[in-house]
Amino acid sequence: MSSNVIEARQLDFEQIKEIIPQRFPFLMLDRVVDIEPGVYVVGIKNLTGNEWFYQGHFPGKAITPGAMISEAIAQTGIIFFHTARPTLRDVTYLLASFRVRFLSPVWPGDQMRIKVVPIRLMQGSGILSAEVSVDGRQVVKGQFGLIAKPNREL
Amino acid sequence: MKTVNLDQEIRELIADIIEMPAEKIEPDAKLVEDLGMDSMMALEILATLEKKFKIKLPEEDLPKITTLNKTIELTKKYVK
Repeated sequence: MSSNVIEARQLDFEQIKEIIPQRFPFLMLDRVVDIEPGVYVVGIKNLTGNEWFYQGHFPGKAITPGAMISEAIAQTGIIFFHTARPTLRDVTYLLASFRVRFLSPVWPGDQMRIKVVPIRLMQGSGILSAEVSVDGRQVVKGQFGLIAKPNREL
Repeated sequence: MKTVNLDQEIRELIADIIEMPAEKIEPDAKLVEDLGMDSMMALEILATLEKKFKIKLPEEDLPKITTLNKTIELTKKYVK
């Protein structure tokens, strides 16, 4: 990874893929639009009607699955951790806890804006707060825990 | 802050995180071995204590969250 990725305040799709291991059909982040390392990360995910999960969720009534919104939150959390802890490398991030409220449905055509800020950050783990909004309206809020597990321990 | 209230608040806070009825937490029961707490729950307890009592607990204190009594003892060190 090049150091400019760490120092950047924004990340494009290719730079995101340098940091997070998820790939299609599980990559739920298109761009990171603002980073203040250790303070916050804001990512966006554009949802098109062509997303694979709308085929089954639900036939004839496409609604974004909460599980996929949760995945977008977790991936933004990985970016947060990666930028907040630049010495932490060769790790796999595991979601350890997840307490969120889904306030409104998210539809095809929506752009999710996912903001993650720390509640309590330790060296290899943290409790993070997440807020997802669409057009300035909050649709999901809550908190989650991530653990950075060294790959040699997995 | 009254001690009884603080003790009860910590008991309820831990109960909520480890998902167990507050009255079933014995003061000296081991949170990991006896009550199934994992490391992320311990971190959640620490973060919630900080928020609720407006205190700052150092990272080194995380391993001291081993029982309800030890957690109360730790919190009292920092609550004015």
